[in-house]
Amino acid sequence: MLQATGATILGMPVARLLAAHNKAAATKAEHVILFWNGGGMSHIDTWDPKPGRPVQGEFSAINTSADGIQISSIFPNLARQMHHCALVRSVVGSNGAHARATYELQTSYNVDPTLIHPGLGSIVVHEKDRIGDLPSFITINGQAPKPGYFGQSCAAYYVGEPGDTDPYLAFPAGIHEARGNERLDLLARMNARAIKQSGNAAFKATETAMKEAVALMKSPALKVFDLDKENPNTLARYGDTDFGRGALLARKLVETGVRFVQINRGGFDTHSNNFPAMENHGLEMDPALGALIEDLAVNGKLSSTLVLMLSEFGRTPRINNNAGRDHHASCFSCLIAGGGIKGGRVIGASDKDAMEPISRQVKPSDLHATVCHALGIDHEKEVYTSQDRPSMLIREGAEPIRELFV
Amino acid sequence: MVTPRTTRILTCALMLHGAAAGVSLSAARVDALLAADNRDVGNEGVALGQVLDDLAFLRKATIDMVGRIPTHAEILQYQQWPQTKRRAMLVDRLLKDDGFADRWTVFFADLLRIRSRAEGGNRLLAYVHQSIETGKPWDVMTRELIAASGSTGKAPSVGFLLADDSDPMEMAAATGQIFMGVRMACAQCHNHPFDKWRQKQFYELAGFFGKTRQIESRLSKKTYVTEGEEMKVLWPPERRKPKQRFAVAPKFPFPIEDSAVKPDYLKRLESLRAGELDKNKKQREADALDALIDSAGTTESPKAEPTALDVAREAKADIRKLNVQSDLYRRSKLRTELAQMVTHPQNRYFARNLVNRVWAELLGRGFYMPIDDYQGEVTHPKTVEHLCDEFIANGYDVRFLFRTILETAAYARAPLDAEAGNNARKASQAAFASGITRRMVSEVLYDSIVIAGHLQDYKWPKGANVREFERRVRVPLEPEPEALVPAEAEPEPGQPEMKMTTKPKPYDLEKVISLDFDKLAASDLEQDLGRMKAMSDQELEAKRMAEMDRKKKSLRRRYTYKTVTEEVDDNPRFSSSMRMATPAAPSHFLRVFGQPSRDGLGEFREHTPSMRQALMMLNGKATHEASRVGPYEPIHRLLTGEGRNLVKAVERAYLETLTRRPNADEQAEALVVLGQAPLEGMADLRWALLNSHEFRYLP
Repeated sequence: MLQATGATILGMPVARLLAAHNKAAATKAEHVILFWNGGGMSHIDTWDPKPGRPVQGEFSAINTSADGIQISSIFPNLARQMHHCALVRSVVGSNGAHARATYELQTSYNVDPTLIHPGLGSIVVHEKDRIGDLPSFITINGQAPKPGYFGQSCAAYYVGEPGDTDPYLAFPAGIHEARGNERLDLLARMNARAIKQSGNAAFKATETAMKEAVALMKSPALKVFDLDKENPNTLARYGDTDFGRGALLARKLVETGVRFVQINRGGFDTHSNNFPAMENHGLEMDPALGALIEDLAVNGKLSSTLVLMLSEFGRTPRINNNAGRDHHASCFSCLIAGGGIKGGRVIGASDKDAMEPISRQVKPSDLHATVCHALGIDHEKEVYTSQDRPSMLIREGAEPIRELFV
Repeated sequence: MVTPRTTRILTCALMLHGAAAGVSLSAARVDALLAADNRDVGNEGVALGQVLDDLAFLRKATIDMVGRIPTHAEILQYQQWPQTKRRAMLVDRLLKDDGFADRWTVFFADLLRIRSRAEGGNRLLAYVHQSIETGKPWDVMTRELIAASGSTGKAPSVGFLLADDSDPMEMAAATGQIFMGVRMACAQCHNHPFDKWRQKQFYELAGFFGKTRQIESRLSKKTYVTEGEEMKVLWPPERRKPKQRFAVAPKFPFPIEDSAVKPDYLKRLESLRAGELDKNKKQREADALDALIDSAGTTESPKAEPTALDVAREAKADIRKLNVQSDLYRRSKLRTELAQMVTHPQNRYFARNLVNRVWAELLGRGFYMPIDDYQGEVTHPKTVEHLCDEFIANGYDVRFLFRTILETAAYARAPLDAEAGNNARKASQAAFASGITRRMVSEVLYDSIVIAGHLQDYKWPKGANVREFERRVRVPLEPEPEALVPAEAEPEPGQPEMKMTTKPKPYDLEKVISLDFDKLAASDLEQDLGRMKAMSDQELEAKRMAEMDRKKKSLRRRYTYKTVTEEVDDNPRFSSSMRMATPAAPSHFLRVFGQPSRDGLGEFREHTPSMRQALMMLNGKATHEASRVGPYEPIHRLLTGEGRNLVKAVERAYLETLTRRPNADEQAEALVVLGQAPLEGMADLRWALLNSHEFRYLP
């Protein structure tokens, strides 16, 4: 893949640069792929099935490639990759409303009327250098949380529909390369005069942003966004859906050096007709997740790429009168793979109806701390907000789930 | 501090407007007090910024007051005015300009966190716009925002409460931060060790919202804010696990100053308001307020017949259906009380909050920062006291505040140039002795590109830009009756401008569709009733199931992607972004340049640069179209044909984008760029000017 794109930075092939980078922290994860499932994904219908119980609903539990671990029957492909994955079945959130829970699951903090905390992706790119020309943090099919007190430079770069060409990455129609470059030269002369005359630091920061933009426009690495030339079989394996294309793009981005990719998916707020909705989710998600983890493993990128799936909460074990499930924050699950964790295991357990955890309670902020831990980031690092107020990268009291790594 | 030039301006302002004389004196007084405050802290010897030249002042004031750069015609008009009077005449003109309400609606929408998507959001936006347009005093507006009851159809300001679900804790935090400039929210959970606010005080403030109820009508699909009997806010807090909790007694935590001698500003306010009463203005205001707040008229009884027959019908229908005991429109005694105390002329927090926010917006920094975190100290106490007194004495008139600030010498100062060291610059800025460079807010940047590039109207004849476009479309794998499904989501009925499809067409991120504020500001009661065709439960259920089925089918459908070619006459017009549904979609130009999401307190406009911003300016549709020279543009005839005059064309381009003439070097450089193909060259020149730092940052 990397050979094919032939991307270079400062004349050095990306592959070699990556290799150099990886050597520095041989055992540490370097990238994160975060699947954000908006709406609150049912834990029973995904990672924590309760076969034989009335709460189980319409899906069965199936065996997986990991001994003794069963997941919902809507994930047959992913089941074959479970030896690479770990499940946390004892997450306890503190918010049952979407907005507040989203904030907590994305930033580790509770909503604070005096401060905007950065999302997980912004935290990671604030702490890790950029590799190559591509933005460090890319969000697909929806928005990532705000960069908060880290500012716009840690904001996610937005990709609407995977496979689409971003019109802003090329000169406008009718402006050929040479003319575009002449324009840039003229602009550079004007701005150099302005900077010489004014001592304004904002000019310099704007200049940096412009240089990054131009570097990105001209980067050979941009080819990575083009999915039309992908092998049709590869596309088919991921499922030729927006979600599948997103997962495939995420893999390619990570291989090109992008630090953090967030893939967004909505439609999990299944207050009614939970089962057909979840079945549909499975149809789209299962091939993509299975192929992604398999490919990362085969290409040797899984150990340096942490794959994580989060949602704001789980859903009630009780099935309501509309054949739906309601919000359930007091016990839900999380899927983690790669990034140095040992697969094929389950952390924590819920009770017989998945109502409450019965062992190893995990706070949402522990999951964020775990991501930091995998990347070699000190989650307790003190940072200063734009108002010079001290804050911690991850909320106080968070602990990485260290047993995932041994 | 008062330079000879400013004195001149002030003198001429005095000559020009007899009525406005006090205003200009007030501005001179501000400068004198700034100097005094600077002396008090030993900060008087700092480097002074140069006084902005006339054109730079025109640019800065126009951007600040009406949210865009000045047009060529405005520049010429301004330069024809007598030199000694033109700044005062300009401020006068700007405060009367239609754009003033547009620009400052953006400011107040940020402050009040107005979201078009929230129930009544657009009505609230139109209400704020109308309030600014008609010069509604800030205290009156605040009372309407805090005390309103009813539905957004009758009382548009109720949208302010609806945005936070009328939650007492949220509203207490919002009241502190938005109207008083004080962060009390920390006290919601604990007594803050360094804060003066105790948790009990926060609960007592929340108590004013503790009887407020929201009732949703299934018939009109509207939410009504009304007053119940029971106090929802209980003390002690639940997390302390108390044996018993009691209803709090609402209490206003901020001091209302009580002086034996009535202060001068208060006497002036009272006489001003008495005068207004004479002119019957007060009466009309009160009427309007009553209509807004009470909706149900003056009577207290929930069973009594409300003033509007339609309202009665609606309310009755709701009460019958929902078995609601209380009046849907009942006026809130508690919130009315709170509104009176918040806006009490001797509640210093209230006046100081807006003075500081407006000052910060216009000067680049407030007298205390962050602007929602007053901790008891300001950098320039005498100046602040004076501005507060005058703001109150002039009836909380926001235009008065703007005029005063715009006429100060401090506002008219340029930033120090590159030779000044960082420390000198900081000290000078801290004393407001030189300008702080500000970037145009996103709406202003967008509108300024539109103005500079003559994009408000077609600048090409029909058919001059017919071009083939490639577009990716999604095609279902199973054959279907409709073969091509465009790769965009269906528009939501009624509000196409509010949806941003997840699959935007190229350049959709720069699209603007304006809201009709006038229509929105008119009561939508009629519309309400039109929609009140009651559906039976079965009908509702059937509708829901059909929707589910549609979703399911579309999810299971398999697609592939094809590129189709379309022929389009690409001759776009651009509207002002000021009246767009707000906030824009997260990836929209406006948001990328820092428009806040307005979904919580503590979020401000973001002014830091980013790569995405650079890409949208370098390669965006607006910049590109603004650069291209269309035949309907005045500059066109200077570039081609008999009237060709390239030197004049370059001068015009500089005036139209940067509000100044080029110097000799720039003129020479531009002529080289124009070269053998002046039309293309001019597009290149304008593209560079629009992307330059000088365009984006105020003088």
